[in-house]
Amino acid sequence: MRPAASRPPEERGLARDGVRLLAATPDGIVHARFGDLPRFLSAGDLLVVNTSATVAAAVDGLRGDGRPVLVHFSSPLEEGTPGEAAAGAGSLEEGPPCEAAGGSMAGGAAAGGGPPGEAVWLVELREDAAATGPVTDAVPGETVTLPAGASLTLLRRYPGPTATRIWVAAVAAGGAVSAFLAWHGRPIRYSYAGDPWPLPAYQTVFARTPGSAEMPSAGRPFTAGLVTDLVAAGVVIAPVTLHAGVASLEAGEPPLPERFSVPEPTAQLVNLTRAAGRRVVAVGTTCTRALESAAGQGGAVRGRRGWTDLVLGAGHPARVVTGLVTGWHDPEASHLALLEAVAGPALVHAAYQEAERAGYLWHEFGDSCLLLPPAGDHRL
Amino acid sequence: MPNALITGASRGLGRAAARALAERGWSLIVDARRAADLTGAMRGLADVTAVPGDVTDPGHRARLAEAVGRAGRLDVLVNNASRLGPSPQPALRDYPLDELGRVYDTNVVAPLALIQLLGAPLAAAAGAIVNVSSDAATEAYPGWGGYGSAKAALDQLTAVLAAEQPSLRWYAFDPGDMRTDMHQQAFPGEDISGRPEPETVVPALLRLLGERPPSGRYRVSDLAVPAVAP
Repeated sequence: MRPAASRPPEERGLARDGVRLLAATPDGIVHARFGDLPRFLSAGDLLVVNTSATVAAAVDGLRGDGRPVLVHFSSPLEEGTPGEAAAGAGSLEEGPPCEAAGGSMAGGAAAGGGPPGEAVWLVELREDAAATGPVTDAVPGETVTLPAGASLTLLRRYPGPTATRIWVAAVAAGGAVSAFLAWHGRPIRYSYAGDPWPLPAYQTVFARTPGSAEMPSAGRPFTAGLVTDLVAAGVVIAPVTLHAGVASLEAGEPPLPERFSVPEPTAQLVNLTRAAGRRVVAVGTTCTRALESAAGQGGAVRGRRGWTDLVLGAGHPARVVTGLVTGWHDPEASHLALLEAVAGPALVHAAYQEAERAGYLWHEFGDSCLLLPPAGDHRL
Repeated sequence: MPNALITGASRGLGRAAARALAERGWSLIVDARRAADLTGAMRGLADVTAVPGDVTDPGHRARLAEAVGRAGRLDVLVNNASRLGPSPQPALRDYPLDELGRVYDTNVVAPLALIQLLGAPLAAAAGAIVNVSSDAATEAYPGWGGYGSAKAALDQLTAVLAAEQPSLRWYAFDPGDMRTDMHQQAFPGEDISGRPEPETVVPALLRLLGERPPSGRYRVSDLAVPAVAP
């Protein structure tokens, strides 16, 4: 059973940190509340959190033949985006700044071949307001009319001609696309989320830099009070930024490249924590992807920013992250491979089985999971 | 430093608010119908762009938007420019409807027009909108039916915008009675010297912009700083 949380916990009479927490540890599986997180961590453990803020990335549009369409804006396409002609090979080069507030989503400069004055974005077209399914009959050159005189033109499929749902589009918004989305957009939601919820419901307590098309939801149950409890317990907290793209990909589709930044002080804390034999616990798959993208061969992390197309899995196990806080998401996705790359298939399988048995709530407003694989043995 | 656009900045609360923010390092765009009055009111202030004109004129509003575009960002919009209507104010049974239309144009339609025009940059900055209201919006004072009902409409626009666009802060700000030219128009020939100066209201407005409480309608007394810490 995988019951979906169709409403945020605050709408169900719970505090954010009142959602359930399944802690899968070397000592077994424990059922708790998220506010109990400090119980499962030790002084000196490092929690790595994502400071990316969610943007209102869904906008209504009209196709050329008058049919309504919902446009999901995933990320700007810039020089350095993997798959972009100008990118070359180096997705991990010192890339365009990820954290320049406002600049990261400004989209003022045309990249990727759009006309001057237009911004080039990765977008997905969805069929209606509840985003029940992708549009499958769009063609290059098609123009979608957006509110307030804005429009976009589909240039080509991404990452290549055989891709089915993500498009490179030239967007003419009469100004910065980030500002257009902030005013005309609404949060991306899927059919399991019954009602539309306002953007603040999609922000974590750590959200500082706008840029995620969908909420980095693992951080959602944290509250200022819980952070204080963690700090008082000696748990160290350090930031990274990874702007999450649209997550509607189907089984078998690799995750989209994403913009990330691991600040040098965070890298140093990660290395210090590992050297001290403490855990590096990533809050979410976004933080895992960012940290592992900044790791060298030996597992040492350096400050890094740019785009990452890293896909963790059996062929690329985690080298840095030794614990994970995550929500409950469909286990068919590449999501599961990433969890297993950190915690090993046995622990992940046991956790999912127990969560389904115990009726944990699924999706971004649902319950949470802490995966703490046995130290030094976590990939068995 | 943050940027603000303040309408009706040549007199009264608009002038006092503009001077207070400019003196705190804010970058301002201001308007008023009379260019000379506006220039005089802003004399001595750094980083103030004066765009004279009438907020009910779409061409003038477009010039304000161009000024915002040149500034590159907008953190705060203060819809302060207001129209009282005829002086003395007629009772509703006799209120000239063309005058009523002008009162609504300035106090309701123009603020919403500026919000529509500047919503994108305001939203990008997670900005705040202050719509200057009046106690006449909530109290039934005889003779205040035109101005008061327009401000009540502005209050409701503010409340609905807060529900529709919750990522911004939306304030209807009720400054109460002040010793201003407009207040004198409302009470022609009367001595209003007992009313507080508009400068006395500015600390409440600064608190609203500094602390960014939840969207809503705020009177000056709601924002009073306690004389002694509790």
